[in-house]
Amino acid sequence: MGERMKQLIFDAGPLINFSMNGLLFVLEELKKNCNVEFLITKEVKEEVIDRPLTIRRFELEALRMQELFKKKVIQLAAISASEVQELRKLRNEFMDVANRSYIAKHKAVHLLDKGEAAALALCVIMKKKTGNEIPLVIDERTARMLVENPTHLGKILEKKFHGTIDIHLKDLRIFEGFKIIRSTELVYIAHKKKLTGISGPKALEALLYGLRFKGASISDEEIEAYKGMK
Amino acid sequence: MHILADLKLVAKALEHNEYVVIKQLSNTIIDHVTAHQDPDLLSVAVIVYALSKLIEREQYKDEKNWKKFYTSYCGTIGSMISSLEKNDDKGFRKAIAANRSLIVGLGGKLHYYISDVITRARMNKASQLYEKGISMEKTANALGISLWELSEYMGPRSEDKDNLYISLPLSKRIALAKEVFG
Repeated sequence: MGERMKQLIFDAGPLINFSMNGLLFVLEELKKNCNVEFLITKEVKEEVIDRPLTIRRFELEALRMQELFKKKVIQLAAISASEVQELRKLRNEFMDVANRSYIAKHKAVHLLDKGEAAALALCVIMKKKTGNEIPLVIDERTARMLVENPTHLGKILEKKFHGTIDIHLKDLRIFEGFKIIRSTELVYIAHKKKLTGISGPKALEALLYGLRFKGASISDEEIEAYKGMK
Repeated sequence: MHILADLKLVAKALEHNEYVVIKQLSNTIIDHVTAHQDPDLLSVAVIVYALSKLIEREQYKDEKNWKKFYTSYCGTIGSMISSLEKNDDKGFRKAIAANRSLIVGLGGKLHYYISDVITRARMNKASQLYEKGISMEKTANALGISLWELSEYMGPRSEDKDNLYISLPLSKRIALAKEVFG
């Protein structure tokens, strides 16, 4: 019996990041070499293909992304009409909870938008459908913190807002259990598998900084830790 | 009201073309944007930052219509101040809209130059807003730009120097990736 096809769900940010760093081919290589499917939502497709196709400056990147889509390197998750309905409902619920759970100066802080919320919702739908917990690739630090450490996110917001933040932690439990990775982990794996097309002592550092400068949230210490890994 | 005080300081700095002071005031306004999550304040931050750049740059000051444009631009700041003094929110928003529409009437090189200044001002404020903890998607939506444009403008962030946003040890995150890729 063949090995089960693995899946990953992508938010728009990492795809844009790969594109802007000229690394879209890495996704193709990873898919070819690792028996994995890269799934996206309709919202992410709009953000990475449909919308930039209308902006001259990003038309070329959008066409390249469209090629990946045509080759099914990235693909819309195959979900039924009723699952689409469920996804929308979940997406709205995630947005509603996230955007009313942190209160600064008597006003709820808006933290989660449609794209990220839909990607999280797709994780839930796919888990129900396949029984597997599918990791989500997301570079956005706020969404990641919301899932992994909502209390700490509150503390960060207190610093940024220069005041107290009231958190409705109980409601935020709906964000527990998601598996999150970033574009940087994908590139690290690709680098180890010699799929990035560059090598040498500076290669990994250059790849990680490239991703950081286009939106991946990774600290200096993490980059150093990556470089020290065998 | 902070924004009124800030705009009055902008008007005062304008008297002596103190673009550095005006630029700093645009940063102060971004602090209010983060605290109040008010899209009108975000527009004002962009307008004030663009104003500092309009004063700083020289290349278009000989262009036809520059003086008329600049006078009108400063005039809209005055209108914002007088509206705020009267607690006239509608008038304040009208002054913001009037500022935005100034560029529509421009032609030729001046239109090109000013569009560039305003685009860069939006990007500058977008990256500051992101630095303040607002998500990329929210920031892009608030400024009416795409995630692509925002990503293009991302630069080094102070938070990367510390470990503020580490929510899972790196070894665990890599282990998650290895579950998929072996």
